[in-house]
Amino acid sequence: MKSLSLKCGVAALALMVAGAAHAGKSDDTLNVAFTKELENVDSYFNSSREGVVLQRAVWDGLVYRDPVTNEYKGNLATSWEWIDDLTLEFKLREGVKFHNGEEFDADDVVYTVNYVADEKNGAKTQRNVNWMKSAEKVDKYTVRISLKKPFPAAIEFLSGPVSIYPNEYYAEAGPTGMGLKPVGTGPYKVTEVEPGKHFVLEKYEGYHDSPKGQPKVGKIDIRTIPDVNTQMAELFSGSLDLIWQVPADQAGKLGAMEQFTVANESTMRIGYLTLDAAGRTGEKNPFTDVRVRRAVAHAVNREALVAALLKGKSKVISTACFPSQFGCFQDVANYEYDPEKAKALLAEAGYPDGFETDYYAYRDREYAEAISSFLNAVGIKTNFHMLQYSALRELRMKGGTPVSFQTWGSYSINDASAITSQFFKFGSLDDSRDEEVRDWLDVADSATDPEKRKEYYAKALTKIADQAYWVPMFSYNTNYVFTNEVSYTPTPDEVLRFVDMSWN
Amino acid sequence: MTRTADTLLEEIQGPTPGQMLRKRVFGHQGLLFGVAVLGLLLLVAIFAPLLAPHDPYAQDLLARMQPPVFLGGSWEHPLGTDHLGRDYLSRLIYGARISLLIGGFAALISGLIGTAMGVAAGYFGGRVDMAVTFLINVRLAMPVVLVALAIVAVFGGSLQVVILVLGFLLWDRFAVVMRSSTLQVRSREYVTAAQAIGCSTSRVILSEIMPNIVNNLIVVVTLEMAHAILLEAALSFLGLGVQPPTPSWGLMVSEGKQMMLFEPWLVAIPGITLFVLVLAINLLGDGLRDVTAPENRS
Amino acid sequence: MLNFILKRLGLAVLVALTVSAISFSLLFMAGDPAAALAGEQATDVDIEAIRRLYGFDRPMIVQYWEWLSRALQGDFGESYYFRLPVADLIMERLSITMTLGVCGISFALLTAVPLGVVAAIRPNSLIDRFALFLSVMGQAMPSFWFGLMMIVVFSIQLNWLPPSGTKTWVHFIMPTIVLGYYAMPAIMRLTRAGMLDVLGSDYIRTARAKGAGEGRVLFKHALRNAIIPVVSLAAVQMGFMLGGSIVVESIFALHGAGYLAWESIGRNDLPTVQALILVFSMFYIVFTFLSDVLNAWLDPRIRVA
Repeated sequence: MKSLSLKCGVAALALMVAGAAHAGKSDDTLNVAFTKELENVDSYFNSSREGVVLQRAVWDGLVYRDPVTNEYKGNLATSWEWIDDLTLEFKLREGVKFHNGEEFDADDVVYTVNYVADEKNGAKTQRNVNWMKSAEKVDKYTVRISLKKPFPAAIEFLSGPVSIYPNEYYAEAGPTGMGLKPVGTGPYKVTEVEPGKHFVLEKYEGYHDSPKGQPKVGKIDIRTIPDVNTQMAELFSGSLDLIWQVPADQAGKLGAMEQFTVANESTMRIGYLTLDAAGRTGEKNPFTDVRVRRAVAHAVNREALVAALLKGKSKVISTACFPSQFGCFQDVANYEYDPEKAKALLAEAGYPDGFETDYYAYRDREYAEAISSFLNAVGIKTNFHMLQYSALRELRMKGGTPVSFQTWGSYSINDASAITSQFFKFGSLDDSRDEEVRDWLDVADSATDPEKRKEYYAKALTKIADQAYWVPMFSYNTNYVFTNEVSYTPTPDEVLRFVDMSWN
Repeated sequence: MTRTADTLLEEIQGPTPGQMLRKRVFGHQGLLFGVAVLGLLLLVAIFAPLLAPHDPYAQDLLARMQPPVFLGGSWEHPLGTDHLGRDYLSRLIYGARISLLIGGFAALISGLIGTAMGVAAGYFGGRVDMAVTFLINVRLAMPVVLVALAIVAVFGGSLQVVILVLGFLLWDRFAVVMRSSTLQVRSREYVTAAQAIGCSTSRVILSEIMPNIVNNLIVVVTLEMAHAILLEAALSFLGLGVQPPTPSWGLMVSEGKQMMLFEPWLVAIPGITLFVLVLAINLLGDGLRDVTAPENRS
Repeated sequence: MLNFILKRLGLAVLVALTVSAISFSLLFMAGDPAAALAGEQATDVDIEAIRRLYGFDRPMIVQYWEWLSRALQGDFGESYYFRLPVADLIMERLSITMTLGVCGISFALLTAVPLGVVAAIRPNSLIDRFALFLSVMGQAMPSFWFGLMMIVVFSIQLNWLPPSGTKTWVHFIMPTIVLGYYAMPAIMRLTRAGMLDVLGSDYIRTARAKGAGEGRVLFKHALRNAIIPVVSLAAVQMGFMLGGSIVVESIFALHGAGYLAWESIGRNDLPTVQALILVFSMFYIVFTFLSDVLNAWLDPRIRVA
């Protein structure tokens, strides 16, 4: 009790001294809100969007993909070449220093790659790293990375989730130490970490001549505020300068206000219904009949969903991938909104009065609810279950679900292998179990000839659409709202790039 | 002896207990208000299909979040429409069913559990009492909201799950009150008399004890009904209550919360109905306590 | 007295053990911990790797025993989500919840006791009516609704108070009021009833008859006796409050233990949730134990019961 009242007193004193802390352009501090608590700043040990944002600010990869032109440029590496299907050689940039003064060289790359590629070390998103076998040093500024099997998307991954850590520091601090006191080569260094709730970044004065450009804003102050309303209230009161992932309706209202700028960009995330075509929930399950699946596709007014709910740069999609992804063939069967046709198909399949089914979702309740309402309208009576992500995943892994609303963001990897191949190769989340599709995808995933890859992805995607294993709905978008003091143009990969921000 | 037969007669005749009760009931504004509002909401819930102007589930994505008529909307949707273009008034009317259903059944389940435990503890005493007291302590020590959240997160929210969870979590007050009431009644002459003439235990409890503690029970029922309704709303607010598209008032607040800063009526309307309902139930409970036990309030 | 304390202590420990067992088993049903741990974008390979890494494939009773024996030494394991020791995580967040709880109960006591006293001195007066009105409102208003409305009025429209955060004491004003408001009705009713009771008793009449000043009668004699049950109620309410601050913490973005608990449920962060349920229960158990002892000390009749 005593210490608490003491605390209250100290706090009051601090307030009087500091005055109301209104930040922003005047003190070169950009105040940003995160919605989710980030588990660990160490980018190999988190799997959230917030983690990617910090990763791009604090660390660098060997390669950089220009988010606008999609062109690969050297970052920590200056050049690279394929020695064979399984070996990549990199020439490294000289004179780069980590935030703690450690010099960057081949040892750092070797240590980082060997550490994260070892499954025992428990990197959280194995998919990002498990294609690498090991790395070896050739000389101080030359390094080779060996792959487990041919992996055409290697450069894409190296420009994304694989960032390079300082070997001496990481060996000592490990993921926990790295999470609490991150050290990288990136444009911003971390000066303060309160796990999950507060992060402060400062401009790294010695940042190398990177394709990311030089940081302009001096200080970034990030707080976790879970409630969107609270975020907006803070934005109004001036203690936040930028919020993102703002729902469409609110963004519309904020955009109408003079003091804010709303920028909208598409993301790689898509929403879809997955139908139990393989009969995992029971052989007599109606969704094993292709006519029922097509009826579902005809029943949902996707244009209305996009126009009324998602808005912005969202698009109706018909393919089981995001259109910009490599191999995402677009010329497939499209099911226009036609409830009468849906009813006719249901009748043809032996359900003239429709049927009742369990319907699952784990996020975006609004969208899921609107979709279920469209299904109800043609006679597919849905029992809505909104579950926690883990509970739904477990259910889907064990016995499948008749129909569920799912989304997938492909880790922002611009390749169809990051989505289609994840779900149609007999994994536990594969609700269709089509051998032909699996075999085509196997060819497409491992071929090194881009044209052959395209051809086989197209085959697989055409059959998926034709059979309506999935009913692809729409692509997502993100709204960034910031005060007029801030200048920022978001990129279509849902990564908040502090290095691109500046004051007006 | 100075009293005459007349005054004596007057004293005896005085107001009967029934008349006194009636006088107290009709003189108690809170009780009357509670009964009136609760009765009205009950009628609304029962006749929802007749009263609702629209289907509460019919969505119209082209007519989302239309304002209520007093904020410039049209009479087509007197209370406006929600974020999926569903008629707000109709959802509110059907929502009365959900809230009363949850309050009623949760109170029923917890009442059965708590009363059985409390009466058993009070009547038998000894080990039974110790066991029940221990269970009450365990239950009180568990943080309700947290445990309810955890369970609903596991099983997924649905009307049944929420009712069961609340029913199994809110029995503590029943047990505490019924235990002490039974203790008070247990040693009264009519109970000992019934025991002496060889009535069975169940008979003694049902026909001698229960009638004498039932007024306390009713008061707790109202309190727990209100408690359950508020808890369901809190669970729905945290995203773990009943499932959409069920029009629960708590869920409506939670859905409207998204646009709270711009369309505050989306939150205000279900919030106010929730408030009025809980208020009515509480006033009813307070009133019943005052009326049946007037010595507690001067 | 010692005998009484030991008996109560034994009961408290038994209750704590039971609660720990319940919370442990409860959360093991909470979906696949490995899937939750791996996160939304994880593949089957990730999940399988995690399952082996954390030993989720072992029997539950083994895992419970291991957890309990370590918990008794203050080691609650490592958070699956943050990969930090749970004990550190909770300690850090608990200070906010405790501050909020202490401020909330102080607010409730400071408003409810005076109101209750005045209401008892002047039954059926305007103040009594007002107090009743406040308490009835407090019982019927959903806390999340109250919190949201406070933000709309005091942060958005008037711009007087910051809507979120914990930087200064000003940030605690709204959460304190919202949290404290719900403990008010019970405390006020009890104060009022207790005062009415005491004021009608013989010794107060005696004190008055002896010619003691009205203030002296009220504060020296009446309030002192009426306050005893209020103190123990406040202790119990405080225990409830700490467990019930989830809603308030999530609205005002206070990163306290309640918010941590809610988030951890969603993330299936088992060690954290288990530890938090146990910690919240312990608060309740400790507070009720203290209030039992206090009551027994003040009122010797209880010791026999």
